[in-house]
Amino acid sequence: MKKIEIYEQAMCCSTGLCGPSFNPELLRLSFVINNLKNAGLVAERFNLTSDPHRFVENEEVKALLTSGGMDVLPATFVDGKLICKGHYPTNAQFVEWSGLSEEELVKKPKVRLSLKGDA
Amino acid sequence: MERFTRDHFPETPFLFFTGKGGVGKTSVASSLSITMASEGKKVLLISTDPASNLQDIFGQTLHNTPTKVNGTNNLYALNLDPEQAASNYKEQMVGPYRGKLPDVVLQNMEEQLSGACTVEIAAFNEFATLLTNTAIIDQFDIIVFDTAPTGHTLRLLQLPSAWSTFLDENTTGTSCLGPLKGLEPQREIYKEAVERLTNASQTTLMLVTRPETNPLKEAARASHELYEIGMKNQMVLINGLLQGESHDEIEQAFIQRQTKSLENIPKELIPFNKYYLPFVPYSLSSIERMQAWMTDSEVKHEKIIEEGTTIPEIEEMIADYIQRKPKLIFTMGKGGVGKTTVASYIALRLAEEGIRVHLTTTDPAAHLKWTFGEEAVENVTVSRIDPKEEVAYYEAEVLAKASETMNEEGLAFVKEDLASPCTEEIAVFRAFANVVEEHQDEVIIIDTAPTGHTLLLLDATEAYHREISRSQGDIPVSVSNLLPRLRDASYTSVAIVTLPEATPVVEAIRLEEDLQRAGLSVDWWVVNQTFTSINTTSPTLVQKQQAETKWLKEVESISNNQFVTIPWVKTPPVGTFGLHQLKGVNINEN
Repeated sequence: MKKIEIYEQAMCCSTGLCGPSFNPELLRLSFVINNLKNAGLVAERFNLTSDPHRFVENEEVKALLTSGGMDVLPATFVDGKLICKGHYPTNAQFVEWSGLSEEELVKKPKVRLSLKGDA
Repeated sequence: MERFTRDHFPETPFLFFTGKGGVGKTSVASSLSITMASEGKKVLLISTDPASNLQDIFGQTLHNTPTKVNGTNNLYALNLDPEQAASNYKEQMVGPYRGKLPDVVLQNMEEQLSGACTVEIAAFNEFATLLTNTAIIDQFDIIVFDTAPTGHTLRLLQLPSAWSTFLDENTTGTSCLGPLKGLEPQREIYKEAVERLTNASQTTLMLVTRPETNPLKEAARASHELYEIGMKNQMVLINGLLQGESHDEIEQAFIQRQTKSLENIPKELIPFNKYYLPFVPYSLSSIERMQAWMTDSEVKHEKIIEEGTTIPEIEEMIADYIQRKPKLIFTMGKGGVGKTTVASYIALRLAEEGIRVHLTTTDPAAHLKWTFGEEAVENVTVSRIDPKEEVAYYEAEVLAKASETMNEEGLAFVKEDLASPCTEEIAVFRAFANVVEEHQDEVIIIDTAPTGHTLLLLDATEAYHREISRSQGDIPVSVSNLLPRLRDASYTSVAIVTLPEATPVVEAIRLEEDLQRAGLSVDWWVVNQTFTSINTTSPTLVQKQQAETKWLKEVESISNNQFVTIPWVKTPPVGTFGLHQLKGVNINEN
């Protein structure tokens, strides 16, 4: 089973909603990772704000940052090997690594939540 | 209504003062603390106001630990600065990585820790830590919190319930509390602090207000919101009731305005005990005088002699606007100083000069309609940004987009982040940017919310601006267009509104400093409700005039002479006719 690790720039929240606008890319990633976890796979996101020690501990990430600055983030490692930097992996890549089908990765809601809700 | 005296002193160990800047909150809190201490209680007075003038009142330096107040036996005071707390917190999070990660990375971390949430939570953290620190608390019989003006207080107080719910419901580990992760171990402390605040046998909320329509409305709003949060033990102190002592026409009008406002006291305030404190035309500068004010002994008048000063009228500022034609005019200042009135006046006068204007407000108390009256004025359009509504729009928009691609868990995730306090800042900012965008061909006059809110808004703007160059999201054009315009002095004009009194002037000075940090320059100062230009023989009001001189001079010097004054008016400045009185001409004719 492959271990997926994604190192991300400092963000208020993992969906990016606290940023200047709604970012579909971050939302996609949030729920892909959630589905991967639900399927029992090891998929982790490290955020510069909440997990800075991870960036120090991983020599390769540290070296990338030193040479390329913030543009190297997000950086994705699969089994400790750098796969892509500067953008998030595609759904196809996640399918390849996880063995899940694309349908399983992007499962549609069974019950649509009320927009009003209690949030 | 009875005068507030020792018979009415609250009996809970925690007293919490709230009220807009300028209503005399600090004076009341310190006078009450002094008096209770002189009667043998051991009292700790705590200021969480970034613009605290406790140090000036007591004439000594205060720290974040209790310091004995000179000239008293049982009174101790302590100062908490929320901005300092936020900066300490930031350093605590980033400091350990200096030298270990590249500078550019550290900057990214710092940026995320500079947001509105960080300041608020860091401030609350300080406050909660103190409220639950038995090593300090147990040494005192009574703890008096002299908090920042209402806007800030509300946020501070709303946080406990907001944050504790949020921490409970957060199941995914990453959230808007991400930057504040270091504070999560404190949640037990927050819980305890909330319990203290909402326990009626432990805490009394002291609502300080003035016998004037707007301050009473503000007090009602604060009362209601805090009641909803669970602070049900409240007491209302109406500060500055003038007792008639002469037949002076202005004094009579002053008293009449007060009486009328009290007759129409908002219904939210009716259930609570209400007491008044007599009008004092000067700063309460000595311990003896503060004690006398709190007991039923007579407050002796003090002779203050100040040389006269210049009193430029508001039309000078209007003439400047007509000549320079800025596109965006902010009237800024703490709540209760009359930002809405000044914004309405500018709108009305520019419209009368044939300029098309759009008048809007982000003040949660939004009484713009009230000030502008029900009449439609040619060349003027009016709108209001309601923070709650804007949050609802933003949520609906995001959830609608999200539900196209999300599963149920994904949506739950999104909802969680939307429930954070950041959302309001974003939503309000977007709405504000849209107003600017939609009214390109009009001069936009914005009556902003009280300082704390306003600055958070601008801080948020700044953060977005930097983020914009990098983010992949769809940024509304209106948002990316706005910030450079805010900093363009030919496009944007900022007028700071204040009153000729100690606290409002001190707060306005801090506000200007904060605006400068945000890259905005203030080009006008407006001193509202001045008595200096009014002919009066009332001994009390003559003293008030004398006391004002010091503050007018202060503003004259700070503003580099770019200031105007608005006279106190006999009837509230509502509608076209009411607003015209602010010119000052009518008053001088009396």
